[in-house]
Amino acid sequence: MNAAIINENTESSPDEPRLLPGDFAIWFFIFAELLVFGIAFLSYAVVRVQNVEMFNQYQLTLNRELGAANTLLLITASYFVVRAIHAIRLDDVKSCIKWLYASLGCGAGFLLLKSLEYYDKFSEGITLSTNTFYMFYLSLTMFHFLHVILGMIILFAVAIKAQRGGYSARDHIGIETGASYWHMVDLVWIILFPLVYIIR
Amino acid sequence: MKAYYNIHTIWLAMMLLTLTTYAMAKLGYSGAVVMLFLLLSAATKAAMIIRDYMELRGVSLLWRGIMYGWLLVVTLAIAIAYLISL
Repeated sequence: MNAAIINENTESSPDEPRLLPGDFAIWFFIFAELLVFGIAFLSYAVVRVQNVEMFNQYQLTLNRELGAANTLLLITASYFVVRAIHAIRLDDVKSCIKWLYASLGCGAGFLLLKSLEYYDKFSEGITLSTNTFYMFYLSLTMFHFLHVILGMIILFAVAIKAQRGGYSARDHIGIETGASYWHMVDLVWIILFPLVYIIR
Repeated sequence: MKAYYNIHTIWLAMMLLTLTTYAMAKLGYSGAVVMLFLLLSAATKAAMIIRDYMELRGVSLLWRGIMYGWLLVVTLAIAIAYLISL
């Protein structure tokens, strides 16, 4: 049977729902993280209602170029992770590893640009207690920053295991698990970027 | 997936939507209509990630409900809060 057909879930009957990709446990972790970020986004939106001028004023001090570049990097990183999944489903381990490291490269780029952004702000003396807007900006983006790091650690561990022959078309749940988590990190940023940097 | 709707064209669409978002900010667009467009753009990207990158297409309704429900609640709440602040 052609390997490409296997990934069409031919084992389960067509009308049966597909299983969640990857390890089941990661999805509870993903749901919990989305809940926390969701509450944080709503808090930002509600607090902004009472501080519109201040939020609009300080939003303009953010580096939108870096914010947009980071969005492009995370979207591309997610695309590379999907390419890795498709490669391993065809038993193409070499390509899978290549795409995983390409995704890690984009992640590293995100962390670098974000650090430059923070360095700029901190050197202006801006901290969590400067004002409410900066408190939200710094806490939301730093919390997400930590998730990017964790996502990269997971992808790196997966890439190492792939290099040691740990995955194949028949068994690649670990890659799907890492991919699911990484996509969640991207998903959160896709909402965070317009909310904090753009909408006014 | 179809020839015109696949992981590659999804990536391209998300990149273009992001550049559009950035361009609108640089041009100084603001206000309710712009906010709705920006949120719709973000929600569209998020839905494509959920459906085709996270591969929740065809997964049990419960899990899809949780993910799309989260997206709907968050984007609606942001829009409502914004409209209240006008």
